[in-house]
Amino acid sequence: MSNVLTIFRREFAAYFNSPIAYIFIIVFLALNCGLFMTPFFLTGQADMRDFFANLPLFLIFFIPALTMRLWAEDKRSGTFELLMTLPMRSAEVMLGKYFAAVAFYLVALAGTLPVPIMVNVLGNPDGGAICAGYLGAVLLGALYMAVGVFTSGLMRDQISAFILGMVGCFVLFLLGMPAVASTIDGWFGGFGAFLQNAFGLMPHFASLTRGVIEPADLAYFLGLTTVFLVLNNLWLEGRKY
Amino acid sequence: MIEVRDVTKRFGTTVALDAVSFRLGEGEILGFLGPNGAGKSTAMKIITTFLAPDEGTVTVAGIDVLEQPLAVRGRIGYLPENVPLYVDMNVHEYLEFVGRARGLQGPRLKERLDWCIEACALAGELKKPIVELSKGYRQRTGLAQALIHDPDILILDEPTSGLDPLQILGIRDLIRSLASKKSIIFSTHILQEVPPVTDRVVIINEGRIVADGRIGDLARQTLGGDPLFERDVDAAATTLARGRAGELVELHKSRIALEDLFIALTKRSAAGRGVARHV
Repeated sequence: MSNVLTIFRREFAAYFNSPIAYIFIIVFLALNCGLFMTPFFLTGQADMRDFFANLPLFLIFFIPALTMRLWAEDKRSGTFELLMTLPMRSAEVMLGKYFAAVAFYLVALAGTLPVPIMVNVLGNPDGGAICAGYLGAVLLGALYMAVGVFTSGLMRDQISAFILGMVGCFVLFLLGMPAVASTIDGWFGGFGAFLQNAFGLMPHFASLTRGVIEPADLAYFLGLTTVFLVLNNLWLEGRKY
Repeated sequence: MIEVRDVTKRFGTTVALDAVSFRLGEGEILGFLGPNGAGKSTAMKIITTFLAPDEGTVTVAGIDVLEQPLAVRGRIGYLPENVPLYVDMNVHEYLEFVGRARGLQGPRLKERLDWCIEACALAGELKKPIVELSKGYRQRTGLAQALIHDPDILILDEPTSGLDPLQILGIRDLIRSLASKKSIIFSTHILQEVPPVTDRVVIINEGRIVADGRIGDLARQTLGGDPLFERDVDAAATTLARGRAGELVELHKSRIALEDLFIALTKRSAAGRGVARHV
């Protein structure tokens, strides 16, 4: 555990050692909150459903920008060899990096907290739905992060890692769209529906933003996150051969 | 301390190491020589558990690298060829990070940090971001990183590459000063680097060990004659001069140097005449 913490501290600090942290937070907050404000004041409804509904698409671009450096940078600079010859398991290094990225995302997400406060001041929203929405945002970010950290490992170059991470997140996003599912169903009967249920992101995320916390949705996010982290670790272990 | 037995490593169809065997005793320094691309770095990566051998076994302090890689890593200090620095950190932060990652903490961490900073002459650069360091200081920071946990075994991949002559002397002195307590393997493709530090060499070419032994023995065996190395010249001159006071007019230095030995051996290996061994 202390090994994970050592890596975590170094990686978390690394975000703030470069301008990426500040650029990320500012753009993330401006875009997310800005795009939410206009419809919010137009419709005059005290809820945050639109705010959360935008996240799956936005985060496809934002999260890979945070994760792209995690392995690709180490591979390029040679520090990968240092990390993989430290007396700690590769899973510990990976989790340290992963949690650092998630923690940074949580900091950015915490920056949106004035929005629910404002909604509360202006109206009488369903607090439960907002909390469930935030839980959904955290789980969604954690899943995209796991995809991103995995794809960063496959690449030596940060740009490739970014693009591949984006594609990975986008595929998860698309599989959950009814239009995509029915198209695939048209090619292979039933396959699209199967993909949508098994891997599609939107059905699970949407129920969270409605304020419904179902064990199945939690299991989906946590399960798929674990799958990508395990894949990442398999890649780390398999790299030796 | 280190025993490499019949290690073979392939990358795709390229054979990087072909049945490589050698060993290193406690407190010994081994110069690992070979042209670029000969397999030096691959061998070091296998000893440090970064890569796994396809065939053969490697034990470090009696521990198999495949069975207990973490135990092996704890015993080794490793400076890879591409010095692994986090350029966004300063020297002190970086060394502290590596120290913690290697399990040091509290007063022990502080003590080791102080020692490494002193030994690698980094005191003036501690608060400098690594990105601003000169090549020499980067190399020293890399070396300090390898020494932070006071390992019994040091694996240094081209520790002097890209340094100026004064810096090379500094690193050389440091390696020599560590020699009494540690087993060290250092690789280089610059042959003159070896004799000032050690006379035990392993020469590798195209993935095969072509020579393993003391430089003098290998030279005698391969080239014939009795080579005189630069490190011995002063001593020999003094002895000669003392023996025949006043009569020594000229001292001619034999130029049978490591290059001749190296060229002879690598050519011979190309002709398939096997391994020179003098351990």
